[in-house]
Amino acid sequence: MSWRLFAQTLRWQRVRLSVVVLAGIGWGVLMPVVYDAFSDVFRDMANSGAIPEEFLNFGSGSLFNLPGTITLGLQHPMAIAMVGIFAIGASSTSIAGERARGTLEVLLARPISRTVLYVSMSVAVLLTVLIVLLAILGGMAGGAAAIGLSDELDLGRMPLVLLNGFGLWAAFTTFGLAMSVTFDRPGPAIGLSLAWLMLHYFLEIIGSLWSDAAWTQEYSLLHHFNPGEILTGKLDPIDMVIVYAAAVIPVIYALLVFPKRDLPAPA
Amino acid sequence: MEGTTSESTAAISTRALTKHYGSVRALTDLTLDVNSGEIFGFLGPNGAGKSTTIRTLLGFLHATRGSATVLGLNMVSDSVEIRRRTGYLPGGIALYDSLTGEQVLDYLVEMQGREPKRRAELCDRLELAGSVLRRKVRDYSRGMRQKIGVVQALQHDPELAILDEPTEGLDPLMQQAFYAILDDLRSEGRTVFFSSHVLSEVERLCDRVAIIRAGELMAIHDVGELLARRRRRVTLRWRGAAPDPATLPGLADVHVDGSRITANLTGEVAGFVRSIASPNLEDLTIEPASLEEAFLEYYAPGDASGSEATDR
Repeated sequence: MSWRLFAQTLRWQRVRLSVVVLAGIGWGVLMPVVYDAFSDVFRDMANSGAIPEEFLNFGSGSLFNLPGTITLGLQHPMAIAMVGIFAIGASSTSIAGERARGTLEVLLARPISRTVLYVSMSVAVLLTVLIVLLAILGGMAGGAAAIGLSDELDLGRMPLVLLNGFGLWAAFTTFGLAMSVTFDRPGPAIGLSLAWLMLHYFLEIIGSLWSDAAWTQEYSLLHHFNPGEILTGKLDPIDMVIVYAAAVIPVIYALLVFPKRDLPAPA
Repeated sequence: MEGTTSESTAAISTRALTKHYGSVRALTDLTLDVNSGEIFGFLGPNGAGKSTTIRTLLGFLHATRGSATVLGLNMVSDSVEIRRRTGYLPGGIALYDSLTGEQVLDYLVEMQGREPKRRAELCDRLELAGSVLRRKVRDYSRGMRQKIGVVQALQHDPELAILDEPTEGLDPLMQQAFYAILDDLRSEGRTVFFSSHVLSEVERLCDRVAIIRAGELMAIHDVGELLARRRRRVTLRWRGAAPDPATLPGLADVHVDGSRITANLTGEVAGFVRSIASPNLEDLTIEPASLEEAFLEYYAPGDASGSEATDR
């Protein structure tokens, strides 16, 4: 682990991270507010048949209770975009970006191995993902407390939500990093990482909106992060195992591939 | 073999070093030794295999076969330690545009884990003032970037400097300053291995030079000997008809045009001048020996194998 490289990788992200953390807090605060203000309205609309109930139970969430609303908030494209900026964008451009710019060889001319370079950058990017998740969950907990809904949330279970959520997004982050060590340009790395995320999102959403395709959800990593169930004491340890296993496999791939690949002079 | 010394005194030693990309033979059976304390030129046109050699030595590329040691360390197993004791300037160096020159140098020397002992001196000699170093790299010209590249490679006072076309983008004044820096490194016992396709700088700087073509080593020469051996172009003009060229020693490829003789002088200069001393000699021009001719000899189409056989 190179602490200097770790710090510099974080430094490259600091402006973007600051903006996304603020947005994440705002988004988190918004979820309890939406639940408090519109839950009954949505229930009436569902009861009247104006909106299909599947739409209100989008993904694995629900607008009819606060834990379910938090699940919706974390599966909403807005939250996915905020975390994805780092889990997909920063991860897939980290090493491939250095390679495309030609700065990777300046870095690797220093006495650090490729493994150390990969680990240092990975830890830094994973930390940014953790910080964004913390901001969103912190906003949600803070928002619930601010409008007097703390009793509907078991805050003691929030660390488990964070742990599961981090495992999920670590899986996408390490996939992005694996693509980053594979390609010489960030374009293909971003494209494949984004496609991987979209595939899981598609499997989760199609399964939640169409009961005949409910089985597809099991194959989506997003389905293995359900904050609502964790907050109501129904954490399935298998979910945790699946997301962390999915995070470790790309790490093993990267540690095997990156040190062995040739790095010809940048074009 | 002229280019080989014992591995114990060699700063760089390669044995049958080979790098192929599928059917592309980037480097084939490179065997050479670079002595400690010398400036060694690695000469060849673009695509000859110079950068491939350097990148293989530094661990960016994995050799298809063969072996190498750098500073007595194994190229494969001791790659990190090699880079700790080496300074490297990549060809066409890329830097972090969003940082200032000073921040780039700070970052890279911290990553190196050594004190920037030579930075102040190098910046001074390459005319990198504080105000320049405080500007963002994105505002630098190509020459400025190259200067930063030189400083980052040498600021930690490495035992061995590996420089890939180091004078690319430097103006003539800065090139002279750079040559002086390398002269000083040599006088301090440092080793410099640099690739170039600029003959004049190899001639000016190097103790020895390896010539590479299409991934194969053509020859390794002591630069002084090479220059001494070079044919010089001679032009003589006589009052009246020129004498019989056969009476003039050491000339080859003779061309007589009335009172004028042009030829290549292959022998010793002093003996030749004595032999032509005559009141009828009106003018004499001997062009200085140039490495360029040696270079062209190795790169003349279809004339690789002969040179290799005699000089390696």
